[in-house]
Amino acid sequence: MKKYIGDYIFIAPFLFIFLIFLAFPVFYALYLSFYKVTDLYNVFGGLRFVGLKNYFLLFKDGRFWWSLLMTFYYAVLSIPAGILFSLILANLLNNRLKGITIFRGAFFLPYILDVFVVGIVWTFLYSSPYGIVTQLLLKLGIHTGGLLSTSKTAMPSIVLAMMLKNSGFGMILFLATMQNIPPSLYEAAIIDGAGPLTRFKNITIPMLKPLILFMVIIGFIGALSAFAEFYAMTGGGPSVVVGGRSLGATEVTGLYLYRNFEALKLGYAAAISFVLLIFTLIFSFFSSKIMKEGIG
Amino acid sequence: MKKFFLYLFLTILAIIVLFPFIWMFMTSFKPESEALSLSFLPSHFTLENFKKIITGYRFGRYFINSLIVSFSAAIFATFFGSLAAYPFAKKDFPFKKYILGMFLASMMIPGLMFMIPQFAIVSKLGWINTYKAMVIPHLANVFGLFLLIQYMKTLPDALIEAARIDGASELRIFWAIIFPLSLPIIVTIFLLTFQFHWNNFLWQLIVTTKESMYTVPVGLAMFRSAHEELYAMKMAASTVSILPISIIFLLSQRYFIQGITKGAVKE
Repeated sequence: MKKYIGDYIFIAPFLFIFLIFLAFPVFYALYLSFYKVTDLYNVFGGLRFVGLKNYFLLFKDGRFWWSLLMTFYYAVLSIPAGILFSLILANLLNNRLKGITIFRGAFFLPYILDVFVVGIVWTFLYSSPYGIVTQLLLKLGIHTGGLLSTSKTAMPSIVLAMMLKNSGFGMILFLATMQNIPPSLYEAAIIDGAGPLTRFKNITIPMLKPLILFMVIIGFIGALSAFAEFYAMTGGGPSVVVGGRSLGATEVTGLYLYRNFEALKLGYAAAISFVLLIFTLIFSFFSSKIMKEGIG
Repeated sequence: MKKFFLYLFLTILAIIVLFPFIWMFMTSFKPESEALSLSFLPSHFTLENFKKIITGYRFGRYFINSLIVSFSAAIFATFFGSLAAYPFAKKDFPFKKYILGMFLASMMIPGLMFMIPQFAIVSKLGWINTYKAMVIPHLANVFGLFLLIQYMKTLPDALIEAARIDGASELRIFWAIIFPLSLPIIVTIFLLTFQFHWNNFLWQLIVTTKESMYTVPVGLAMFRSAHEELYAMKMAASTVSILPISIIFLLSQRYFIQGITKGAVKE
């Protein structure tokens, strides 16, 4: 054992921080989810054990189920839009052209920016009645009444903003994979008389399939943790009335969790985070199965 | 002709993707009364918005806070990560597989799950409103560690063996051989960590209550809730957040892209 001490010393700082701030929190979140805050001025001192009550409450909480539904809605809109747009960008860049790295940089740049700040900028563009997007749409004869303050358009507007911000990531991955496809495949297809569209459909897309699946998975996990874009752009609103209840048209689970945290309902928020974890695990499990079967 | 249309199309798309930031940038130089006008250029160019957010609202201070947090986090995370990566890449020791498995498993967990417990730990330690609170909980960058391990595995074993025969200590091997040879990936990790902390809005929001400790995005969030209508100033504050990281990106693009590509291809 003695000869390994040196190795452990090298690992120690990283492992120490990992254990305290990443491993322990998972167990502590589970613990907290069985407790209730009773003293708002001494949050962690006044915890009362409530057993599974937080989970029962969560199960009956319409606002929670609604937030999950909105999270799925966000995922279902943003994942295909993001994949499609990054695929278009990558395909355009996959040409031997001068100055291609400039375009690559331009498309990738927004990806590294802060979601919250980008959200604030978009809120300005979307603002009604004088935001530039609103005014340009008006010139085209489209009356929006505020894209972010109308319940039907709020979610798609956020999706559009995030698609333009984040597609650089997918683009880079698609591009790297496209450049690894052996040119002989295309050459053979050209000899067989396949046009550019056929080649794209029958060679490029099948080669990109594992990557597309990967992007669906991380897109889904990302949607379950999405917070800052909603916090910046709508704060969960505008309100919609569903079955006699007033709910937020863009109140996703990440935001609902934050609202509970803000109200110091820490046990309840921890229970939400556990349900999120369970969804993530189930989804990752099934998609890795599909990945193994589908690609072999 | 085909080339012409390709360039045209690429240019239009680039303008669409970058438009929000171009518009933000232009608005930040307009007088407040013109913030909502559709003209691209300000009628007269003014630095008034930047002056106001720095003298009236201390965005200069927030900028320095952001810089301190991101820079120190990047230094420590890169250092701890490369130290740990060396034995994982080049050696065998008990529990190695289990530790790596644990690291890998943590990457599956949604980030929001860590927030509440980390907040609990940080408040129990009395770290609220300190740089420590913003930096230390996020120093174990698992994604970065895997990139480092992957890179260090490709370094030739013969070099390490030769140094060992010459009697070099492990620490010396690390400093004299591993670290300099891994520099490209280390620069990548440094930049990615810096960027992560520059953008780590939610965490910084919940661990700061004192105005003097705000970072740029936290300051922007507070400013926004107080002054919904001051668009030009909001855009100036957004520029303070977006411009520096964009410049860093433009100067070191290939490191960023390398990190993103390598990381995902592995998975």
